[in-house]
Amino acid sequence: MTDASDDDRFHADALLACAGGDRAALRALYDREASRMLGIALRILRRRDLAEEAVQDAFVQIWRKAASFDTARGDGRAWMFAIVRNRALNILRDGRREDLLPDPMGSEIADDAPDPEAIVSRLSDTSRLRRCLEGLEPRRRAGLVLAYTHGLSHGEIAARLAVPLGTAKSWIRRAFLSLRECMG
Amino acid sequence: MTVFDDPDAAAADYLFGQMNEAETLAFEDVLARDAALAALVRRWRGVLGELDLTAPELPADDALWQRIVAATAAAPQPRPAPARAAPRGWLAGLWDSLPVWRGVGAAGALASALLAVASVTLLQRPASDVRLVAVLVADGATTPGALVEIGSDGRARLLPLAEIPVPEGRALEVWTLPDPTTGPVSIGLIDRARQTGLAVGDLPPPTAGQLFEITLEPATGSPTGRPTGPIIYKGLTTEAL
Repeated sequence: MTDASDDDRFHADALLACAGGDRAALRALYDREASRMLGIALRILRRRDLAEEAVQDAFVQIWRKAASFDTARGDGRAWMFAIVRNRALNILRDGRREDLLPDPMGSEIADDAPDPEAIVSRLSDTSRLRRCLEGLEPRRRAGLVLAYTHGLSHGEIAARLAVPLGTAKSWIRRAFLSLRECMG
Repeated sequence: MTVFDDPDAAAADYLFGQMNEAETLAFEDVLARDAALAALVRRWRGVLGELDLTAPELPADDALWQRIVAATAAAPQPRPAPARAAPRGWLAGLWDSLPVWRGVGAAGALASALLAVASVTLLQRPASDVRLVAVLVADGATTPGALVEIGSDGRARLLPLAEIPVPEGRALEVWTLPDPTTGPVSIGLIDRARQTGLAVGDLPPPTAGQLFEITLEPATGSPTGRPTGPIIYKGLTTEAL
């Protein structure tokens, strides 16, 4: 496990180099983060081919936008993750996840019933986020986690938690505010 | 100032993917202009990033990388647009006022003083892995204009130490001369004096005494692949202790 500041420096340096047109730096970022980014995209899109498309789009954007990344902020990985999440959510909103039939050649489909508690349990024992999430009422925690990790809409969360749409909507917002208060 | 009645709720909807495309675009438009909202979103991205790390890691193969290479080649990195314009007459006057470019060695008398400046700059940086440094100066000038540092990992970056006026439609191009028989190679193009990585990855590892220079070129870079504009700063690498 690398030190967070080492990570920050690695990403900042590589993004600076990308801004200068250094493709080897983009490759270094790919080697370091593409596996995780595929996982992030697959949780949202549930289809390997669409997840790869999201990651491909994300790296093209990272390459093109590297010059706009402010290295003083030092959170290059979060910046990259936000780009792949946005791409995946855009593809999800296009409705293609539902439109396309499963790939007969065996695209991996992630599990259809993601377990929010399992996700929370994968957070570090020392994580403040974990403590704060565990302080939430279980169904609100489930809604918040699934909205983030799996891109579930308010409607999908409502269906999954068997509550009216308006309730799901206000739960997410209020859970977020509780989280904000807890994180301080 | 934030234009949303409830910025937290808006940020939550954005971060949790609950906005449609139009709402997302509207939010990002405000985000680009609203520093407070940007700070809020950035902070939450950092916090929620822990959840991203719970995603499984899937093998990212070379085929996907090749598609990225093809896509970035088809849509090349946009050359940065010049950030601001300087009056042409003023610039022409500047060039006229500069002494004739002499050999890099003419800066030798200043070398120790300049390296002292460079050392201070380097000490303020977190890394200690700088292998080579080139202090770039304008010929006849008494202060360094920019620094090139090359890490032991082979990466290089440019750190400007002085403002450089760049007229509209022009850009600064960074060059190095790994081999005098093949001529200078472009390793970066920037719209203004700012820190940037330098594309030395495909070149032989830089060595002590290698020339680096910055020239003023068209905004899209030198049309010939060789320096065509005036040299603004240049210098030779020295091994860092």
